[in-house]
Amino acid sequence: MTVLHILAYASVAVFIVAVAVRAIRLATTPVHLRWELYPVAHEKDKVSYGGSYFEEKDWWTKSQKKSLFGELKVMVPEILLLKGVWEHNKPLWLWSFPMHFGLYLVIGFAALVLVTAFTGTQDGLGAVLEQIGLAVGLVGYVLGTVGALGLFGYRLFSRKTRGFTPPSAYLNILFLLALFATGLYMFAGVDHPSGALAAFGRDVFTLGAGAAPAGAVAAHLGVALLFMLYLPFTHMTHFFTKYFTYHSVRWNDEPNHPGSKLEAAIQRQLAYPVSWSAKHLRADGKKNWADIATDTEVE
Amino acid sequence: MTMADKVKVKDISKHPERQLTHIDPQDLMPLPPPYDKVDEEPKWKAIKQEQKDAVVSNLDDTIALGFPKPKTKEEEDELVRKFLSGLEKLLTRENNWTFLQPLLLSLEHCAKCQTCNDACPIYEASGHNDVYRPTYRSEVWRRIVAKYIKPGGKFFGAFKQGDIELNWTTVSRLMELSYRCTLCRRCAQTCPIGVDNGLITHELRKVFSQEMGIAAKEIHEKGSVQQLKVGSSTGMTPLVVKDNIEFIDEDMFDKTGIKIETPWDKEGADVLLIHNAGEILAWPENPGAFAVILEAAGISWTLSSDVVAYDGINYGLWYDDFQLARVAIKHAEAAKKLKVKKIVIGECGHAHKALTVIADRVLQGDLNVRRESAMTLLEDIVFSGKIKFDPSKNDFPVTLHDPCNMVRLMGIVEPQRRILRYLAPQFREMTPHGVDNYCCGGGSGFAIMSPFNFQDWRLSISGRKKLKQVLDAFADCPGPEIKKYLCAPCSNCKGQLRDLFQYYNVWEKSGILYGGLVELIVNAMVDVKEPFIEWEFH
Repeated sequence: MTVLHILAYASVAVFIVAVAVRAIRLATTPVHLRWELYPVAHEKDKVSYGGSYFEEKDWWTKSQKKSLFGELKVMVPEILLLKGVWEHNKPLWLWSFPMHFGLYLVIGFAALVLVTAFTGTQDGLGAVLEQIGLAVGLVGYVLGTVGALGLFGYRLFSRKTRGFTPPSAYLNILFLLALFATGLYMFAGVDHPSGALAAFGRDVFTLGAGAAPAGAVAAHLGVALLFMLYLPFTHMTHFFTKYFTYHSVRWNDEPNHPGSKLEAAIQRQLAYPVSWSAKHLRADGKKNWADIATDTEVE
Repeated sequence: MTMADKVKVKDISKHPERQLTHIDPQDLMPLPPPYDKVDEEPKWKAIKQEQKDAVVSNLDDTIALGFPKPKTKEEEDELVRKFLSGLEKLLTRENNWTFLQPLLLSLEHCAKCQTCNDACPIYEASGHNDVYRPTYRSEVWRRIVAKYIKPGGKFFGAFKQGDIELNWTTVSRLMELSYRCTLCRRCAQTCPIGVDNGLITHELRKVFSQEMGIAAKEIHEKGSVQQLKVGSSTGMTPLVVKDNIEFIDEDMFDKTGIKIETPWDKEGADVLLIHNAGEILAWPENPGAFAVILEAAGISWTLSSDVVAYDGINYGLWYDDFQLARVAIKHAEAAKKLKVKKIVIGECGHAHKALTVIADRVLQGDLNVRRESAMTLLEDIVFSGKIKFDPSKNDFPVTLHDPCNMVRLMGIVEPQRRILRYLAPQFREMTPHGVDNYCCGGGSGFAIMSPFNFQDWRLSISGRKKLKQVLDAFADCPGPEIKKYLCAPCSNCKGQLRDLFQYYNVWEKSGILYGGLVELIVNAMVDVKEPFIEWEFH
């Protein structure tokens, strides 16, 4: 087993575990107070202007009309095209979009390489997929390199971000730049990059111990696997935590109906002991949240 | 290059005796004529040196809290220790289940792209002063958490979030800085990731209040504490409020010819109406107009004379979860006691959000009384045919201010507009409007805060963008000879707009009056013979 094999197993394992831990940690935080922001995308009839069910007289007597399609209409352009950045920060979008879209294409390339690792590429579907993968990969690496270079410059020279960018943010971009640049180098220097990558992928998946690729392919694989190992410990986990920021906070308009599961969950939380120190709260670490909220004696 | 360009995040910890930034009138966002001359910009009230020496005053050219300076190094260290202990509690399930998940998301996932900055009316109006970026205080907070709370922060904190030194200078400036944001959350609306820097201001204020017992006097001592003690932040006891309402009823009869006897504590009424009690003292025509409309429409309604329940304000919304819950529970208890079908909240944006949205998950069991906005009830009445209207009585230019709490943060956008489109022939929108509106500049308690020269700050900076918007909305009739009406269905917004218009002589220069929605509705009633709206600035 080569160093690259070990790195591949370690990266995948750490990535999955670290992402799962973070997702579980966020998903199991207590039910919070409502903090939505309009427009709420699943609001069926009023989303065009940001309205809510609170516009209805006796709103609690009417069933809430939710639209999954409405959420998709916001999320798909947001994820694929970075619509929010386009609307609110075009100079950033100029670089952020190619970097993100380039990354999506590179992930697509990796997925196609893995598929062809098992279908083969001699003829039929496998051959077609390999050609598509190569095209997607090449475009992805070019876009990504341009985007990462631009982002680095933007961070460094824009008055908006200069002084507000910590060292880790620069490292993140440099890491991405290395990922894309080594990919481009691989395409430039290796005749049949997807073949070598597919062979390695097949070997890893079948727990083989064959020889690892060398040269430009090995360099690219090494950077990509190290990036995978690094990513879950950075703010770049927004690729999945964005689900929570939108669905659990920004669009969370679920009312607390009497007798609901939501009410039961909150009831449990009202029993949490409180240890805030300010005098007016009269908390002692033993009184619970409900005790303090109902203690309205004024000194 | 101005002073503002030079302020870095880590500067907040340095040079304790110096102001971190300075506000130069030349830097402020220009206003349209005739408000565009920098030398005619109102002069700020000077703060005496002895006042500056006595209280924390090292952030900018104003003071919001007036917190006494610690006298010894030990006192300073104790305050820093308490601050850190508060930050730790903020990140625990038990102490902060109320906002833990949104807080963690905003703590850990900001890409520091600064996209949100341009959405902030304070940052823009200040001439892009770095200290007023929505990200400035959040970055300080993230750096402190990364370095002083997260495991390994001493080694990796500076690399991960950027360097910061936690000392009394940092804490004292952060304390003031948490009162330089109106919590309008316009910044959060533009964040592609969903990070909410407005929430971080809210949570910082909680650390100061819930752990250190530090909050703006106007919203704590004179606000929620006084409300819980005597019944209202205005100081009105149940007896006084009843007297005042009786006087308003008589005044309404004089003005409209309609006999009004406001019902108190009527058991089993359909509607328990809760006003912001500030209306009763400052704008009595507003609760009066409500009474006229409800009586004319034959609504079964009542006010409550229970302590707290005749004042819809809930300042805890801006700084303290427990004060919020205490007041909300009192409101719900009064409704439960009277066995009303629902609570209807009058023209007060933060009261809307506090009782309907934020307290929704605090009110349990039979305290979960149904709650609704006055906007929907009014819309229902106006279009029910129960009252006859003559919209030509409102034939003057009207624009609408969207209170952030009611609109961006609750999604109540159209009912008030449908009323205005029907009853105000010259209604026009501001740009932008609805959920994209700008705050009046008085949000998060600012409208009632005027210590030292804080009023100068909140009018010339935090209210500047709204003033520009209002003037732009009436750009086709700018002079004072055409009287214009700014409809602001929110008591706090009206307080800010009153001060803003006085500060810039808007009534004299532009002829713009501000007021609520119900006044326009009564003004258009056929049965009300004399004009209800009096074109006098007050």
